[in-house]
Amino acid sequence: MKKWFFNPFIYVAGSRSLIIGWCVILLTVVVSFFSRTHFNGALDTHNSHDAAPIWIHFSEALIDWGCLAGIFYFCGLVFSKSAIRFIDVAGTMAMARWPMLPVAIIGFGIRVPATLITLNDILKSLTPQVIFCSILDIVFTVWMVALCYNAFSVSCNLKGGKAAWVFTGGIIVAEIVSKIIFHEIIKNLL
Amino acid sequence: MQKNLPHICPSCSSVLRVKCLVCENCQTEVTGMYSMPVLASLTGQEQDFIIEFVKSSGSLKIMAQKLGLSYPTVRNLLDDVIQKLENNTNNAKKS
Repeated sequence: MKKWFFNPFIYVAGSRSLIIGWCVILLTVVVSFFSRTHFNGALDTHNSHDAAPIWIHFSEALIDWGCLAGIFYFCGLVFSKSAIRFIDVAGTMAMARWPMLPVAIIGFGIRVPATLITLNDILKSLTPQVIFCSILDIVFTVWMVALCYNAFSVSCNLKGGKAAWVFTGGIIVAEIVSKIIFHEIIKNLL
Repeated sequence: MQKNLPHICPSCSSVLRVKCLVCENCQTEVTGMYSMPVLASLTGQEQDFIIEFVKSSGSLKIMAQKLGLSYPTVRNLLDDVIQKLENNTNNAKKS
């Protein structure tokens, strides 16, 4: 059971995990649209006061997944001795993002005020409910990172210290690249 | 109790060789100095994996279906066995 929670990729990978992963991602897009939760970064979660068009939410999901799959596939090609397949990396990375669905649901519990300019505004917005929801968000994000690590480890056949270092570097690069894409492309389109 | 065939000397860690073979039926003994097959250096589980792999005509997809595991997991298991065989072959050549 523990393996299914933290490393389901031992049993499911490739096109099957890609289909399952993308079904959950699309559901997350719909939920995040209504809860006004944004995933504008491979590791980021934000809530906004104003509603954004659903294509923004979809683009965020696509860019997050694309950056993770692309960068970890490249890392696998460079550092792994195995004959890795892109479909395994892409599929497992899609499935690894499933904890973002509960994060999008938790977003209903976070109400962001229209103005957050002064320190007083920020402190007022930090109600016990918001703090509790934020802690839950962190727990699910950590779970997603653990799943991403196992997805990378299984799909690229890397273990131990080497896998940990390559994964840490890869996820930082994925976060930076996804942020750059959001700011340079999405913002120009709006 | 299932015994594991040792292939490394517990005293000096050199690769072991076969000196004596016995016929269980007539107790005939054959003595000499024979190298152990490389596959004998694998664990029973790894040997079963190789047998299943051959029975599956070398198809990782069929192996994955048989074992209820994902394709990359089976490929990783196979890569680990290949790595172990290469290491054991190198160790045998050195000794």
